[in-house]
Amino acid sequence: MILVIDVSNTNTVMGVFDGEALVANWRLSTLSSRTSDETGILIRSLFRHSDISVLEIEAVMVSSVVPNVMYSLTNGIRKYLKREAIIVRSGMKTGINLRMENPKEMGTDRIVNLVAAYEIYGGPAMIIDYSTATTYDVVDENGEFVTGITAPGLQVCAEALYQRAANLPKFEIVAPESIITKNTVESMQAGLVLSHIGETVYMIQCIREELGFPTLKVIATGGLAKIIDEKEEIFDVYDPVLALHGLRLIYEKNKNRRQGERKCF
Amino acid sequence: MLLVIDVGNTNYVLGVYHGEKLVKCWRMATGSNKTADETGIFLYNLFDASGFDVKRIEAVIISSVVPDIMYSLTQGIRKYFHIEPMIVSAGIKTGIVIKRDNPKAVGADRIVNMVAVNEIYGGPAVVIDYGTANTFDVINEKSEFITGLITPGISICAEALYQRAAQIPKIEIKKPKSIVVKNTVGSIQAGLVIGHIGQTKYIIQQLREQLGLPNMKVVATGGLARMIDPNKEIFDILDPVLTLKGLKILYHKNI
Repeated sequence: MILVIDVSNTNTVMGVFDGEALVANWRLSTLSSRTSDETGILIRSLFRHSDISVLEIEAVMVSSVVPNVMYSLTNGIRKYLKREAIIVRSGMKTGINLRMENPKEMGTDRIVNLVAAYEIYGGPAMIIDYSTATTYDVVDENGEFVTGITAPGLQVCAEALYQRAANLPKFEIVAPESIITKNTVESMQAGLVLSHIGETVYMIQCIREELGFPTLKVIATGGLAKIIDEKEEIFDVYDPVLALHGLRLIYEKNKNRRQGERKCF
Repeated sequence: MLLVIDVGNTNYVLGVYHGEKLVKCWRMATGSNKTADETGIFLYNLFDASGFDVKRIEAVIISSVVPDIMYSLTQGIRKYFHIEPMIVSAGIKTGIVIKRDNPKAVGADRIVNMVAVNEIYGGPAVVIDYGTANTFDVINEKSEFITGLITPGISICAEALYQRAAQIPKIEIKKPKSIVVKNTVGSIQAGLVIGHIGQTKYIIQQLREQLGLPNMKVVATGGLARMIDPNKEIFDILDPVLTLKGLKILYHKNI
């Protein structure tokens, strides 16, 4: 079994794979103040609660876009799981050709999603990840990265609105029943949700038309994706654990290479 | 002459009307920690520097969505202009029927915009104001405010993104040349600007369809409106001083 960890700006998602089967997954807050002892104990407790022995974990694969939690995370894994975490970084085999000016500046969460989408669903595909940021990444039928767009996420936009506008209150992010609003909270709920639906619909349309991908598959992930497409008209696939599968696939692609490296010693 | 002041969360805009004509317009940062003397003398000097005699100002009307600065602003005007400003608030005559749970909760800037659109362009119309927040407010041909949406403005979205995401840099807000972007800055620029264009188009389309108003006019205002529609395909009218016009109209309705 392997443990995969996807560290994002707001949440950290962990999953345990037995072969290709995801047997457990958990979601934690990403906290830079969490120590390695706290992290290690928390992971062990979650394992025990799901009746998984840490001894069965042969490898730990991590993707992170938050540099300042990495010391505590890797050290906690070292101390309590007795494993050296493998970190997704440039130079690893991914099966995706990242034709960017500087591939190192691309968030590894996006690379992990691209790998999973391309391997599982095939290209041309657009992966939309609704997280702290909403990312739109396009991969073609040959596994080549075509373009990637980063927009502020729903939660971030909602917070910006009530933090920066003096008279606007906090509100829950839900789709409105009607476009006819009767008070400020409904105005903000309708505005936020409809604006993000509009952003998504227009991005998909621009990519399909401007890049000539009429058969582009749209694969969504991230907790807030359901709010965007309640009627299931926009996305072809909704895969809430896409990144976890991507981490598993990258581990498998690089497993033999790492073993080979070790024999050199 | 009439001094009109529109206080927004980020900026406040002042305009001077001589009859129907806007003869001067200034834009200032909204700072909530200025005193009445600082505000008053600053405005006084602004007039002086532009060669206007403060004594020629006969009246002042203010619309504000920032309660914190109202004491200093009104007190500064009383002290340095010797005028009691008219404030856009509940009870003022607008010519608009506001069908809301609590009409007082609608931001004064939005009321002022709707008054301007109703009087100058006529309903049915949606007025879109690109500011700290973007507002989409719809009035019908009977001057009734039917619905309003509030979305976060492009600059507060950009700020929120680099404050909350560890590896995302500060960027200049501009439209990228192509949707094919190969670096982080271009990626965020595309997300913000193309995202906002998509948001605008979709909300207009949904309003037209769901409200059954296929001939609804689209009137835009606010600093970033031009970036959203450089080719003039989305808006029927782009009026950068819509709010100032609305304030002038409101003043004359209420004297």
